[in-house]
Amino acid sequence: MAAVQDGPMELDTEKETKPEILSDGTSKLSGNTASGTLSSSPLTAGGAPKQEDQQTLIAVLQFLRRNKLSESVEILRREAGLEDQEDSQTLDGSGGGKGDRDGGEANSLLSRVSITSAAAPQSTLTPITVKRANEQLDVSVVLSAYSQQGDPSLYQVYYSGLKNFIESVLDCHRAELSQLFYPLFVHMYLELVYNNHENEAKAFFEKFGGDQECYYQDDLRVLCGLTKKEHLKGNEVLLDFRTSRFVLRISRDSYQLLKRHLQERHNNQIWNIIQEHLYIDIFDGMPRSKSQIDSMSGSFAGEARREVNKVKVFHGLLKEPEIEVPLDDEEDEAENEEGKPKKKKTKKDSMGSKSKKQDPNAPQQNRIPLPELKDSDKLDKIMYMKESTKRIRLGPENLPSICFYSFLNAYQGLTAVDFTDDSSLLAGGFADSTVRIWSVTPKKLRKVKSAGELNLIDKESDDVLERIMDEKTASESKILCGHSGPVYSVSFSPDRNYLLSSSEDGTVRLWSLQTFTCLVGYKGHNYPVWDTHFSPFGYYFVSGGHDRVARLWATDHYQPLRIFAGHLADVTCTRFHPNSNYVATGSTDRTIRLWDVLNGNCVRIFTGHKGPVHSLAFSPNGKFLASGSTDGRVLLWDIGHGLMIGELKGHTDTIYALKFSRDGEILASGSMDNTVRLWDSTKAFDDVETDDFTAATGHIHLPDNSQELLLGTYHSKSTPVTHLHFTRRNLLLAAGGYSSQ
Amino acid sequence: GAHTKMASPKTVPKDAQVMMQILKDMGITEYEPRVINQMLEFTYRYVTTIIEDAKIYSTHAKKSTVDADDIRLAIQCRVDQSFISPPPRDFLLDIARQKNQTPLPLIKPYTGPRLPPDRYCLTAPNYRLKSLQKKVSSSAGRITVPRLSVGAVSSRPSTPTLGTPSVQTVGTKVGTPVSLTGQRFTVQIPSSQAASVKSATPTTPTVQNVLINPSLIGSKNILITTNMVSQNSSGDSTSLKRKHEDEDDYDAL
Repeated sequence: MAAVQDGPMELDTEKETKPEILSDGTSKLSGNTASGTLSSSPLTAGGAPKQEDQQTLIAVLQFLRRNKLSESVEILRREAGLEDQEDSQTLDGSGGGKGDRDGGEANSLLSRVSITSAAAPQSTLTPITVKRANEQLDVSVVLSAYSQQGDPSLYQVYYSGLKNFIESVLDCHRAELSQLFYPLFVHMYLELVYNNHENEAKAFFEKFGGDQECYYQDDLRVLCGLTKKEHLKGNEVLLDFRTSRFVLRISRDSYQLLKRHLQERHNNQIWNIIQEHLYIDIFDGMPRSKSQIDSMSGSFAGEARREVNKVKVFHGLLKEPEIEVPLDDEEDEAENEEGKPKKKKTKKDSMGSKSKKQDPNAPQQNRIPLPELKDSDKLDKIMYMKESTKRIRLGPENLPSICFYSFLNAYQGLTAVDFTDDSSLLAGGFADSTVRIWSVTPKKLRKVKSAGELNLIDKESDDVLERIMDEKTASESKILCGHSGPVYSVSFSPDRNYLLSSSEDGTVRLWSLQTFTCLVGYKGHNYPVWDTHFSPFGYYFVSGGHDRVARLWATDHYQPLRIFAGHLADVTCTRFHPNSNYVATGSTDRTIRLWDVLNGNCVRIFTGHKGPVHSLAFSPNGKFLASGSTDGRVLLWDIGHGLMIGELKGHTDTIYALKFSRDGEILASGSMDNTVRLWDSTKAFDDVETDDFTAATGHIHLPDNSQELLLGTYHSKSTPVTHLHFTRRNLLLAAGGYSSQ
Repeated sequence: GAHTKMASPKTVPKDAQVMMQILKDMGITEYEPRVINQMLEFTYRYVTTIIEDAKIYSTHAKKSTVDADDIRLAIQCRVDQSFISPPPRDFLLDIARQKNQTPLPLIKPYTGPRLPPDRYCLTAPNYRLKSLQKKVSSSAGRITVPRLSVGAVSSRPSTPTLGTPSVQTVGTKVGTPVSLTGQRFTVQIPSSQAASVKSATPTTPTVQNVLINPSLIGSKNILITTNMVSQNSSGDSTSLKRKHEDEDDYDAL
């Protein structure tokens, strides 16, 4: 029998009020309702069986006895007509039904205690054992437990109460307050599960699960399968959800309304839950409309707080080094810092005068250490300049040609593709753990000769660089074996010397493209590594995996230099900013975060996707970020202001490939729906003027202009698009594995 | 995957029907038919393992039957072994904070390929050739334990090397008595292979063992032992002129 029932103040009410029964009178419920009267105002007065009263009275008796209020004990016993029952007799539970109820009550009490004391009682313990343990519990502990949590069976009441309230407010506030539904629902459900109220949890879910927004349906399906506390244990994502605070952005007026409503009622359990689990970011201004809210919500932890996105981000490009080009037309290499395309039509660079000023948005040259330019790099740059002069200027009237590389006989094993910057090599990562490299140009792949043969060549000859290559084993493609799991990502280094591959076996491997052998295996993630990307200047690379962090490495350190932790779920996509000072990560928790390489801080959080983010692309000028996810939408973000500035709808399946053209005028997206779509990014970025951003709220109304921005849709014959690449002359290359259905 | 027609529910055994229902409840609508079989196999193996473990625990606790506590304990132990989940968030935030405090290291200029120290790379040769000479005196009466394991190349880092080690002939130190061949466990190189090399070299009888330094490779060792039978002893003598590295030559770990 429960030894302690309630505080002394409420003894009288306890005696007099009948315990309510909300739903069917299961044993657990009856126990709960009896104690539920303490913290909540009585709601319904259902017919209570006499045994409930009896039990309550005995509980009260117990309490009085313990506190040595013997006179009160006598009085109570006499008045209630109770027999002088010893604790032990009631404990052993003569009647079957009564015994069950006792057990139920004790169980519920104990389970309530578990919230505060974290002592997890086993709900399947026999009633007798439970009661004995219960007697030893401190009064204070049990009391404090009650003040924490409401009655589980009343959760439905709380929720519907809130629902009624929200439906009755003004339209303008309703959309904002409706944001509360989902996080409250999930938290209440998880509380019920965590405290072993399985039946209540299921009933709660059935009643209110269907009301939630459609974009939360996947999460709800996962929740539906979680009915016991043990299910929660291994699920890191949900545990994180429980402990992190869901962020809601609500205007001040709506917030006042809500607060007033919740605080004036006696049962302010919802208020408690809000305070504990939600973070309400209040802003001054107009309440947001439903469409505005919908576009920003969908992530696992709500939206981002405004302060998070206010950190200064240096999104400008680094100054290009001055290289003397020994060509017929002496072009000066000094580039405009704002990264304007190099239109070297005239011999003299008229933009040279601006090179003295520092772009305020660009980071210092030495903000992070970068490798110096070697002679070979300088030669590469010269080639780059030459090719840029022949670059086709793209636009809505001048769409790029698309060359599609289909991988035949891959049998859905093609998991990753990358091209070198000069489009001379193509690498494919496969589910059979191999990496294959092909030469896109007619030039065959050659590896360096072995040490013995190298001794024999003439080192002084002019063509020594050709002589060190082994002609005998030249081939169109090379296979790199080494991983022990599917290769999920490949990335070439900018100087074409190295290739990175990341795999399900938890390692990232560095391969040499001169000897076609593996050089280093970087171990750090102990879980599948979903993506890896070389820095645009080489030397650094970033990887992200199932362990929910992204790591920054340097090729000459066997341990990561930076760990970017903060995502609530797997990191599925990692990309460097063109100035190599920032890393963007997209995750299964439906957010995109921008991290500072210098100190590892998260400087931006972008929410709005409704599914895991699988592709990211920085615009060549460094100001904007495009992201694609499983919901088929491409979202455009302004990095400097930290806001969403565009939404491109059109794809019907996951978008795995995103690339901006070389000058940033066109955004190409490739998806599992076998199409490549071209979007007018100049128009998308121009349309948004910065005046709106200066408002504190920063909420802009996104025009639904996807159709205008769509420049073309190109279908492949049942080949999903895995990768896109613009050549230096703005020809679009696409790659995918042919699947025959 | 290949979408063949799903087996009609009537002909599908009950377990498979349950599995199909589970997949449907979890929202998975498209899957290859073999997925059901794989899931059922996994289920069967998992449940069997758990119940076996539970039986062990219950007999250890001297109980007559297996009860829920045993099962619970068995599940708990297996969860920590097989289904390891990534570290919790606060732990990750903690190590991230530590790691991110150190400033980024400066980059030394003009250093050639920027790779970690050799011991963290996979660039070392994964075999070495051990000279016989040093063993002559010490192992006269010893039985050499055969360390022959020709394993398939595992997908672990047992990768080819950047440069082949150079092998020098031990021709000058010949004194190798023929009788030594009996003491070593060797694998004869197929005569065809050996014959091709025969012409290249003079008849220098050498017996060499190629040993693997296990610290170089992870789990699998590849041992190739060659037996160069001296010409005096047998007619089809061969000798492989191989250049082998001195033992101290390579980067000893």
